Amino acid sequence: MPFFAIIKKEVYRFSSIWVQTMVGPLSTALLYQLIFAHQLASVNTGIPGVDYATFLIPGLVIMQVLLNAFGNGSSSLIQSKYTGNIIFVLMAPVSPMSMYLAYLCASILRGVAVGLVVYLGIMWFGQIMVVHLWAVLYYAILGAAITGGLGLIAGILCEKFDQLGGFQSFVMVPLIYLSGIFFNIQHFSPIWKTLAMLDPFLYIVDGFRYGFVGQANFGVIHGAGFVLCFALAVNIVGIVLLKRGVKIKH
Amino acid sequence: MYALEINHVTKTYSNNFKALDDVNFTLKEGDFVGLLGVNGAGKTSLISSVAGINSFHGEIKVMGHDVLSDVVNAKRNIGVVPQEIAFDPFLTVMQTLKFQSGIYGVNDNQKWLDELLERMHLQDKAHANTRSLSGGMKRRLMVAQALVHKPSLIILDEPTVGVDVEIRKNIWDFISELHQQGHTILLTTHYLEEVEKLCNRIIMIDKGKIIAQSSKDELINQAGDLPSTLELTTVNGRFVAVLSDLIIGRDGNKYILRLSGHEQIATILNALVSNNVIIENININKPKLEDIFLHYLGR
Repeated sequence: MPFFAIIKKEVYRFSSIWVQTMVGPLSTALLYQLIFAHQLASVNTGIPGVDYATFLIPGLVIMQVLLNAFGNGSSSLIQSKYTGNIIFVLMAPVSPMSMYLAYLCASILRGVAVGLVVYLGIMWFGQIMVVHLWAVLYYAILGAAITGGLGLIAGILCEKFDQLGGFQSFVMVPLIYLSGIFFNIQHFSPIWKTLAMLDPFLYIVDGFRYGFVGQANFGVIHGAGFVLCFALAVNIVGIVLLKRGVKIKH
Repeated sequence: MYALEINHVTKTYSNNFKALDDVNFTLKEGDFVGLLGVNGAGKTSLISSVAGINSFHGEIKVMGHDVLSDVVNAKRNIGVVPQEIAFDPFLTVMQTLKFQSGIYGVNDNQKWLDELLERMHLQDKAHANTRSLSGGMKRRLMVAQALVHKPSLIILDEPTVGVDVEIRKNIWDFISELHQQGHTILLTTHYLEEVEKLCNRIIMIDKGKIIAQSSKDELINQAGDLPSTLELTTVNGRFVAVLSDLIIGRDGNKYILRLSGHEQIATILNALVSNNVIIENININKPKLEDIFLHYLGR
């Protein structure tokens, strides 16, 4: 089936450059863990019985899930547009929906695979264990679906690598860094807290951390609903753009 | 059933450039048709519309399937070799063909893929990364990609640019075999001698409009006043002054004469014989496709 052929190719693509796609994120997470957990060991996490090193681990894992899911869809599409080989998929008997979902699934797979590698690499720095598996899987998969979808939208709309870089630097990174990965947002000043609460990634990070520490700042079920709606909205926009051939067909 | 039906197809780009202007033609199953036009005439816009890469107004059907309302079935029947070289830099040659097979829903075709690589002279590159291929090799790989699913309609947009003469001949031999097996072929190329040799019909396009479509001989008849030439080689290069107005070229003892009609041949031969000019060789050249093409373009 064309759907699986695209997924297989994408998995081959990101696994063939594993130093960049797997070792790189692990190295970044290790550095964050070593530096932040050491320097900020005395910071109150706001969660009884959870030290900062343990608090940080789920944050760093989900950060890499989100960033890598975004990177897969965006880089794959823009590279295919740049080298022209996207034409082979566009000419094939693959519906836009099927094509989009295949790229999205590949993005989720990469995000989750990188998350697993990062988790296995940094779990030793705290007292971490999975408390609610459903929450870990739900927020990792839907979080990757959101940023994977955003990556595909960026890949569809951007025509140059610098445009994509701008999207990543000015949209993705601020949203991810404000989402409570490094700090409990309850400790933010009121203005920053208000801003952070507008960040949809906040609920992904909060729900994902709930899966490990068993406590959340916001209602987990409420967050799960919000994340599901956000994932659907982002990907409906992506499917419509691809179906219309925006910046892809002439 | 027609292999390809193009009905009132118009394509206007966002900058208001009209690349196709009410284009109409059909290809019967088993046709081998040459699509000729100068750069920018609309050939690639037309092919892109058929392949589903361009939006357009009008109707295009492939093997009876509308390319807009019955996209999947229409696309299953087409194999296109695009004009621009494109390749996936992460894949090897064989992985490229397997991926291509996969997106066309074809499995278990290893034997056919091996044959394609052999016919495209790429068998020793099967496991080489596509980045390491030369331009000609990449183009041959694109030809193989277009054929993985054995499409009914094969569209070749400048498939042999940058391919050396010997391999080019092998590719055409292979394409001719596919044609004999019943595949319909639409070809654009700047090598007009290839079109002349291979195609049973020719369609000419200029400024987005079809300006002629027929067999080569019919196109000559329709053109009417296209001149043939007569090549005469005489002993010692002797000739007669009365015919000097007809001479359009000379190469040693060989004279090239312009013919306004074939009845002129008898007059010329009579003049030479009556002046005791001994003819060593004689050759009548019909108009070349290039002459016909330029005639229809009005250039």
